[in-house]
Amino acid sequence: MTTQPTATDMTGSETSSGQTSAERTVARGGVAAAPLLAVDDLVKHFEIRGGLMGISKLGAVRAVDGVSFTVTEGETLGLVGESGCGKTTLGKVILRLIPPTSGSVTFEGKPLFELNSRELKAARRDIQVVFQDPYASLNPRMSVGEIVGEGLYVHGMTNKREREAAVRDLLKRVGLNQQHIHRYPHEFSGGQRQRIGIARALALRPKFIVCDEPVSALDVSVQSQVLNLLSDLQDEFQLTYLFIAHNLAVVRHLSSRVGVMYLGKLAELAEADDLYENPRHPYTKALLSAIPIPDPTVRRERIVLKGDLPSPANPPSGCRFHTRCPMAQEICKVEEPPLRDIGGGHLSACHFAEDVTPLKERRAS
Amino acid sequence: MTTVSRSVGPLLEIQGLKTHFFTQDGTVRAVDGVSFQIGHAKTLGVVGESGCGKSITSLSVMRLIERPGKIVEGSIKLNGEDLLDKSDEEMRDIRGDQVSMIFQEPMTSLNPVFTCGEQISEAVQQHTAASRREGMDRAVEMLSLVGIPDAKRRAREYPHQLSGGMRQRVMIAMALSTDPDLLIADEPTTALDVTIQAQILELMRDLREKNRMAIMLITHDLGVVAEMVDEVVVMYAGKVVERGDVRTIFGNPHHPYTQGLLHSIPRLDERVDRLEVIKGTVPSPYNLPTGCLFKRRCPFRMPICDVAPPMRQIGEEHTSRCWLTPAGEAPEVGADPTPEEAEAAGEQLTVEPR
Repeated sequence: MTTQPTATDMTGSETSSGQTSAERTVARGGVAAAPLLAVDDLVKHFEIRGGLMGISKLGAVRAVDGVSFTVTEGETLGLVGESGCGKTTLGKVILRLIPPTSGSVTFEGKPLFELNSRELKAARRDIQVVFQDPYASLNPRMSVGEIVGEGLYVHGMTNKREREAAVRDLLKRVGLNQQHIHRYPHEFSGGQRQRIGIARALALRPKFIVCDEPVSALDVSVQSQVLNLLSDLQDEFQLTYLFIAHNLAVVRHLSSRVGVMYLGKLAELAEADDLYENPRHPYTKALLSAIPIPDPTVRRERIVLKGDLPSPANPPSGCRFHTRCPMAQEICKVEEPPLRDIGGGHLSACHFAEDVTPLKERRAS
Repeated sequence: MTTVSRSVGPLLEIQGLKTHFFTQDGTVRAVDGVSFQIGHAKTLGVVGESGCGKSITSLSVMRLIERPGKIVEGSIKLNGEDLLDKSDEEMRDIRGDQVSMIFQEPMTSLNPVFTCGEQISEAVQQHTAASRREGMDRAVEMLSLVGIPDAKRRAREYPHQLSGGMRQRVMIAMALSTDPDLLIADEPTTALDVTIQAQILELMRDLREKNRMAIMLITHDLGVVAEMVDEVVVMYAGKVVERGDVRTIFGNPHHPYTQGLLHSIPRLDERVDRLEVIKGTVPSPYNLPTGCLFKRRCPFRMPICDVAPPMRQIGEEHTSRCWLTPAGEAPEVGADPTPEEAEAAGEQLTVEPR
């Protein structure tokens, strides 16, 4: 049980053989609860500039405003929230695609924001991403082979034949026809493009993949194919996912734990089943109640929130949700509730978390 | 102005509608023989994936099809009168007065250089003898009806000053300002967050009661359908494949496509290990299969599926375009197609589930 996941098994050009992935599976078999990724008090503010010459600072959009969580190896952490809650920004900061304002992200014990460019390049093999829009995230001038193989080339697989064999193997694994290696993105449907994006993310045999709304641009029937593919690949390659999406049903389907974001902060974080059956934050409860259930005989309690999301450039005082919260009291306007454990690892940032009741549901006759 | 012809018969009756697009690469039969009705003050849901023809059907009702598209056949009767016989001027009076439409993306459907109030007022002035001032008063009244706080101030604002949910409310206010008999809502909440979606759906339900208005709701979200509509039409590749009462469609779907759709969505209230999938992708409109359009993806495929099935009666008020018996069994014993035949019929870019 003491086997450690090491970075050394990532060296060499093992990517072309299935054998190494099997070896890695064995090597990781005994590791259960080591946090693979730890995010600590992460903050990302976007400055609003304006005035004469556009250089005076007018304020900041607090896209991510102090978020902490860990992701355990092999799990899927889902992150939900409405547009503007900061979930995508959070993903981008973790990937170091944009610099943080403050806070830290630790991956396998390495502080990601302090790595030099060589170390960062090595770490990036282990951390990959699947983007939302399969139309915008693939270069239209590159063939599928070039897109999927680019990472392999950058990381040292310069032999063309070897690379092509690796790409063909990847295409097969994500359910694409290997013959299509020389085709271009426009020749594929949305679902197939998303499979290309997934193959690209898998090419370097990463340990951790950030999936940012990977199925929201897809039709229902194709969405389920891609979701099944993601969970198959997770089993096959022992992947850990950070799964960012606005669709709560999709997130529940794939995630072991789920975090709910509101205006740059985590409102609640808990085991998926627990969160969905027993929400302990009024925002989570309202969010769940707002989702129409595809069954005309079921009627669920509906909490209609008043008003719109406040601007993240000027979040409300105290608890950020108090302006729309049906349970708000005086204290909520002045004191910001901390994200606290209310039992069994269920975290909620609400002064009255214990008083939040489960959603009522009934069958209409 | 709406109580004149509320006699017998449905409010909207579409019969054999065909809207085709004549492109350089060939003819796209976007809508290919669609028929359905909507009764007075009823809500009909039109469900299907992108490219199934649901939006083109609604644009055909509005007579907003532009070249290279053309309505080539069929009839669209509203209050008993065929809209396809109307001149462009007559249609302009009908649009807004009897039928209104709201679109998915409110930002692109509102004019950015006029205030919200002016845009609603314009619609009112077009259809009534209202003056500019009366039009503006009506606009403010409508904006507060759809739940926009401080409507008087908002009426003087431009679309970009409003949030997405607010813009969609402005669209609804505009569509309802002339008190139409039928509201066509094309994915009215798809671009919105769920909590805002809940607000808009509640508003639509509310106004439906108040105005005794019929709604044709086009959406791919089966949850929204289950919650909002009385009757469902499922479309696939330009054709209606199943039609029935909402409880029948959700409780006892007949067409394999409808079944596949219902089973492939992850649900909030049920957890499954693996989602069921509909294999393959929607066929290209340039390369539709012969016979049943769904046969290449259908788990129940039979030899008879090479013959196009008609809409068949499954139960009372329940029809399905499938050869399976009402109980869902194969109609008669016959050999399944050989693997070679299936292969030959398979589309070029079919993705086989692993």
